[in-house]
Amino acid sequence: MNRLLRRSAEATAELVGALRTGLPAMAGLVPLAAGLVLSFLLLPWLPSAVKPLRALANAERRRAGRVLGREIPEPYRPPSGEGFGEALRLLRSPSTWRDAAWMAAHGLTALAAAAVAVAVWPAIPFTLSLPLWWWAAPEGSQAAFITLDSWPKALTMPFLQGALDLGILLWLVPRLRRWQAGLAEALLSPTRRTSLAERVEELAETRAEALEAHGAELRRIERDLHDGTQAQLVAAALRLGLADRRFDADPGAARTLFLEAREGVEEALTQLRTVIRGIYPPILSDRGLAGALRALAAGQPIPVELDVEDGRAPAAVEAAAYFVVAEALTNIARHSGARHGWVALRREPARLTINVRDDGKGGADPDRGSGLAGIRRRVAALDGTTRLHSPDGEGTTLQVELPCGS
Amino acid sequence: MRIVIAEDSVLLREGLAMLLDAGGHEVVAAAGSGPDVLPALLEHRPDAAVLDVRLPPGFRDEGLRAAIEARRRLPGLPVLVLSQYVEQTYAAELLAGGAGGVGYLLKDRVGRVDEFLDALDRVAAGGTALDPEVVSQLMTSRHDPLQELTPREREVLGLMAQGLDNATIAATLVITERSVSKHIGAVFAKLGLPPTDSGHRRVLAVLAYLNS
Repeated sequence: MNRLLRRSAEATAELVGALRTGLPAMAGLVPLAAGLVLSFLLLPWLPSAVKPLRALANAERRRAGRVLGREIPEPYRPPSGEGFGEALRLLRSPSTWRDAAWMAAHGLTALAAAAVAVAVWPAIPFTLSLPLWWWAAPEGSQAAFITLDSWPKALTMPFLQGALDLGILLWLVPRLRRWQAGLAEALLSPTRRTSLAERVEELAETRAEALEAHGAELRRIERDLHDGTQAQLVAAALRLGLADRRFDADPGAARTLFLEAREGVEEALTQLRTVIRGIYPPILSDRGLAGALRALAAGQPIPVELDVEDGRAPAAVEAAAYFVVAEALTNIARHSGARHGWVALRREPARLTINVRDDGKGGADPDRGSGLAGIRRRVAALDGTTRLHSPDGEGTTLQVELPCGS
Repeated sequence: MRIVIAEDSVLLREGLAMLLDAGGHEVVAAAGSGPDVLPALLEHRPDAAVLDVRLPPGFRDEGLRAAIEARRRLPGLPVLVLSQYVEQTYAAELLAGGAGGVGYLLKDRVGRVDEFLDALDRVAAGGTALDPEVVSQLMTSRHDPLQELTPREREVLGLMAQGLDNATIAATLVITERSVSKHIGAVFAKLGLPPTDSGHRRVLAVLAYLNS
């Protein structure tokens, strides 16, 4: 009992003692809460606040990339959604914090580094010329760290300092430049983990879209075959059966039925061709992408200039590329009022870049018109990117990148 | 006439042979794959060849390439190419091979036996038989210079591009031959082409112009 009481007394004293930190912490709750509420209210503006930071970081990426001789890729995902959700995503994204860390580190060091680099150049001739004029200069103005007051000093110290300056110029300044770029690369390039995490998120999204698009496509093909071709063939078979029954009694009527059946079969073949073209254009398997695009360009109402690299890509990628160009050219013919079109196709080991340009009236809006939406969907399904640049009166440029991992 | 056919589907090959047989022709050889085509043609030197565009082993455009190669080796060999779909590029490639005797038809047209045999005769005689679908592809693509044509002139141009002669065009459109030649003259004038008599040269000229 006694022991228990003592323990409680000790514990009480300790708990009272904890008020030394507890009370300030309680006082701190107020600004913390205020800060939280404030940041909660300010959160929706975070995306706009991050924009200049990203622009700054991107400028540094390009600059540091030039210094290092290798590109520093952007780690950002394209913004998805708006306001609150996007802000939370930005807060969770390591890139945001790494950008901020870079800004702090770079902001604190850039000026000093630049000052050293700029100051050391004039410092060298200044120091080396000291032996000539130190005796005439006013007290304290002739040297930076030591005072020259005798000839022996004047004939040694400036050379020592000149050597130091030269060392800084030759050794430190180039390194400063590399360190600065290195800092940018370390903080601004996507880390393995961040890029993987963001890639996973992105892939999950595009995969869902791909499955959706694929499902819709399958349903469309099934519907086309079932309602069109199959029904036509059934009707033709029916007519042939009827003709068979009537053949002896009424050859004239049977003949009419034969002819109708033939028409039905022809109609079914035509529909079948359309469906097949929609699945995988035959010319693509005959001639490859380059040949198929040449055929496509030749069939346009306006002259279309082609710049296509030969070489094959996976069938799904080629089909998507063909679809993109076909759709884009259809759009150009229908809406742009262009007099000329250009199609360029670049084949790199890991990706296929398609550029379709026209000199029409521009102002294409991806949110209107199913063509552009279809392109975007099909490209996204293959984890590619679509960019549309269409200022009013300046023509339209569609740029599509399709990964074809090899 | 003596005919060599190339078609990989046995059913269709037999059907074609039967059909040609019924039309009074003699099928002297039937090839089932791309590499067999050229030797068969060189050996038999037929009056006409009926070739499928897609043949084994590649199932691409082996038949078309064989046709072009055969016409290079045997100038003037009449070739009728059949395909499950038509592609204006292929028509242009076939016709680029030079003089006379070229046909390019959808396989569906075989079902219209008389029209098919007619087309074959035309090709064997050094004429042209282009599928209406190829022609309509051409007509819809380069529509700009054709916009000045009247609907009737366009109709005449379409039939002309298929390789039909003036009499057939006149019969098809139920007009006199004289007005057909008047329309053709107007078409040539509007398209800036010098008029000629040969049906094939007319098609070549039209194609060359439309493909330019």
